[in-house]
Amino acid sequence: MTDDGVRDEGTETTALREALAAEHAAVWGYGTVGAALTAGSRPQVSAAENAHRDVRDRLAELLQQRGDDPVPAEAGYALPFPVLSAVDAAALAVVLEDGVAAAWVRVLDQAVQSTVRRMAVDELAGAEVRAVGWRGAAVRTPVTTPFPGLPQG
Amino acid sequence: MLPPTAPAPRGFSRRALLAASAGLALAATGCTSGSTGAPEVSTAETDQLAGQVAVQETVVAAYASAAAADPTLGAEVGELATQAGTQLERLRAAAPSAGPSTVSSSPSGTAPPAGADVRGWLRSQVGAAARSHADAGVDQTGARAALLGSLAAGLRGHEAALA
Repeated sequence: MTDDGVRDEGTETTALREALAAEHAAVWGYGTVGAALTAGSRPQVSAAENAHRDVRDRLAELLQQRGDDPVPAEAGYALPFPVLSAVDAAALAVVLEDGVAAAWVRVLDQAVQSTVRRMAVDELAGAEVRAVGWRGAAVRTPVTTPFPGLPQG
Repeated sequence: MLPPTAPAPRGFSRRALLAASAGLALAATGCTSGSTGAPEVSTAETDQLAGQVAVQETVVAAYASAAAADPTLGAEVGELATQAGTQLERLRAAAPSAGPSTVSSSPSGTAPPAGADVRGWLRSQVGAAARSHADAGVDQTGARAALLGSLAAGLRGHEAALA
């Protein structure tokens, strides 16, 4: 929410740009997740990575249609913690999905078009469903959260 | 782990992973239209939010009914039931016009049919509520949309956990 509570296409576009940045990070991060997991987990990683690539591309197209330059991917990212095991990799996937979820909640908060909000609710749900699986793999309990994308507390 | 050709890591940028955490405090509280300068909220939006309270009450009742019908399942999903209750509390706080509960203490009418797969029934109840919150979130704006979208996603997570 903006400080003055005003929302317009500008606030919506800014939130979409932030979501695109988060999707770029997720695509990159899943490369690291996949490298640290066994072959048996690859389908789950591939599905998640492809989902983020797809929404990244749709976001970029949407922003281009608005005459906005899509946010490019960063040249590199640092891991939030060392990824030394399969559990670490799953924990990183949770971080990625939680980051994406927060970005989509921000879009919901800032959007003025219902089509954008529909995209946001769909992608937010997808991120949380993936996160549930990764929290389990990261041996976290509970595997669910009542308010995905919103600050806890 | 970075590819050998990748430049030195610069850290997850604020935009990349953490940006959206800023500015969400109001959304987190499920704030409504009372803020100075906030957009006006239509009666229809207010009524719809109150309607979602009833939807969430149905979820809470469904968890209670499922636990009564299958105590083993009830023990397994206790945390999910607690989360559903927490969601209801925040939704009620965001929809002060919602009337007093008529469901949470009286789960009749939200019970699995005799002989039914209780887990499957519970999952369908949760999924229906998630769809309802999602649709309502699309119709709402601002913090209400954010809250409903988050609730919908949370219940989708429950659905996944119940699968």
